Amino acid sequence: MSGDARRMGREPAILLAPGLFFLLLAFFFPAIQLLIQSFLTVGAEAGRLTMEHYAKIVVDDFYAGVALRTFRLALVITVLCLVIGFPLAVVISRAGKLLRTTLIVLLILPLMTSVVIRTFGWLVILGPGGVLSWSLQQLGLIDRSISLMHTETGIVIAMVQVLLPFLVLTTLGSLGQIPVSLEEASRVMGAGFFRSIRHVTLPLSVPGLASGSLLVFALSISSFITPSLVGGVRLQVMAGSIYQQMTGSFDWGFGAALSVVLLIATLALIIPYMVVTSRAGGKA
Amino acid sequence: MKRSSILATAFGAIIAASLAANASAQETLTINSFGGSYEETHRALVITPFEKMYNVKVEVVTAYSADTLAQLRAQKDNPKFDVVHFSGGLEHAAAAEDLLAPIEPAELSNYDKMYDFAVAGLDRGIGPTYSTAVIGLLYNTDQIAEAPASWKDLANPDYQNHVLFTDAASNTYGMLGLLMINKVAGGTLDDIEPGLEFVKGILPTSTVVSKSPEIQQNFAQGNAWIAPYAQDYAFTLTKAGLPVKFIQPEEGGVLAPITVNLVKGTKKRDLALKFIDFSIRAEASQGWAEALRYTPTNKEAKLSDEVAAQVVYGEDAVAKLVTFDANEIAEKRSSWNEAWSRAIAK
Repeated sequence: MSGDARRMGREPAILLAPGLFFLLLAFFFPAIQLLIQSFLTVGAEAGRLTMEHYAKIVVDDFYAGVALRTFRLALVITVLCLVIGFPLAVVISRAGKLLRTTLIVLLILPLMTSVVIRTFGWLVILGPGGVLSWSLQQLGLIDRSISLMHTETGIVIAMVQVLLPFLVLTTLGSLGQIPVSLEEASRVMGAGFFRSIRHVTLPLSVPGLASGSLLVFALSISSFITPSLVGGVRLQVMAGSIYQQMTGSFDWGFGAALSVVLLIATLALIIPYMVVTSRAGGKA
Repeated sequence: MKRSSILATAFGAIIAASLAANASAQETLTINSFGGSYEETHRALVITPFEKMYNVKVEVVTAYSADTLAQLRAQKDNPKFDVVHFSGGLEHAAAAEDLLAPIEPAELSNYDKMYDFAVAGLDRGIGPTYSTAVIGLLYNTDQIAEAPASWKDLANPDYQNHVLFTDAASNTYGMLGLLMINKVAGGTLDDIEPGLEFVKGILPTSTVVSKSPEIQQNFAQGNAWIAPYAQDYAFTLTKAGLPVKFIQPEEGGVLAPITVNLVKGTKKRDLALKFIDFSIRAEASQGWAEALRYTPTNKEAKLSDEVAAQVVYGEDAVAKLVTFDANEIAEKRSSWNEAWSRAIAK
């Protein structure tokens, strides 16, 4: 009996080991290295302990502005993904088998292409003289060529397209577990379509929406390729700033400090969100 | 014990045999080149003819300047390279770290045929500039009928909404362009504020890109009419069918030299010097201009009218070229990067 109990305690540990080992090697080890680096001086007197990198982030409104833009964009992108993704997930989960498969394939297909390629697609559409500008001109809505390149709107559009599948797929998982009979029951009891969605479907899909939006938020806050290609050099986000520090200015200490701040700020936002949504999900 | 000693003997024999084989084989010179179409041209103009002429083998390692510098540092005591090519001013860093060997003018038969700037650093270990990129103005000939004459023309109201800058923080040519704009605006390497102010003045109606393909895209889509950038890139655009021309403004274009350097501690100094001398002969200088539109650094290079019209060529034009001190650039680059990023941030 006691042997069984011990074995049952050990088995999950064995199953966890490969993942844990990988996480340790690929995440905690580099993260700790960055943490150390962020407290060390660079240049002539390299290796001395210092707080100068953090002081620069706090004192300097330029980097505060970059950080603020990064979080604001991530928030807007996450909300838009929720607004577009939830109805889409509901439609997919309630559709017939053929339509459902088609929609899922359409949704997953872009993930088969590199994010760089997809972003280049947006450059063609959003750029000056691009498809968007041309169409609006042909329709007579604008008289000179416009461009959403190098604008925050452009970044948001491209990022929502890139990240939407993550939200829809996780939400689909939750929706699949809701018995259709529950919705049917609510309809029978006199709830309209929207009321049924609002009071039955939505609360029950909170776990999926929560993990999906977390995923979208985390991916967009750390994303680098799409904002730097669509947003350009004048609209810096944190990941781009870090890249610039590391590869352009070779200021590894400051780049490391920016990374640590990004990680801490992300955790500070995500952990309370997880706690709140898991409570809400648990109640439903 | 016994088995291992047999193995050791066998190994010894193999090593001895291969050493003997090497000794009787052709002499080998190890160099770096930059890969892609550049390396192809490099082979055609210099490497292959050199191998034939001296009956030697040239081992080419594809490595950009920064990688090459890192390898030189790591192999300081026993360098693998005999000759290294650098761009972006890294030969100054390598020479300062004592990784390159000085060359006597008498050791190069082409010395007297070179422009002064191309052999200015030989005594410090900085090898000759065998060809050079030049930063000036690229403009769209369909949109701009009369060629711009000055760096200040970037602020010409006729070009409003169509001026394209390249990010100075991530692109060396972008930085050199900024330094020249700064010089014209009255700044120095100790104070780039005038240059930043000039850029800020036209920034609200200009575009800033970070990578050269974006320059092509902006010219192709009609968004860019004028841009400070490199002469060889103007040729890339011309080949792509765009109506783009390069000019050296009256205040001068900026030199971005590409150098061929002697590695300190090479065991093949004589052959390496022959290679360097071969790299700077007039035919090679001319070939670089014909293939990629780099400015010749050998005065005897003869260019056809068509090529000459597309590069800074001839003693008068070359005399106008401006050099910025590479050591000073290296030292101040990160603070300039930051100042630039702030200046252009929305």
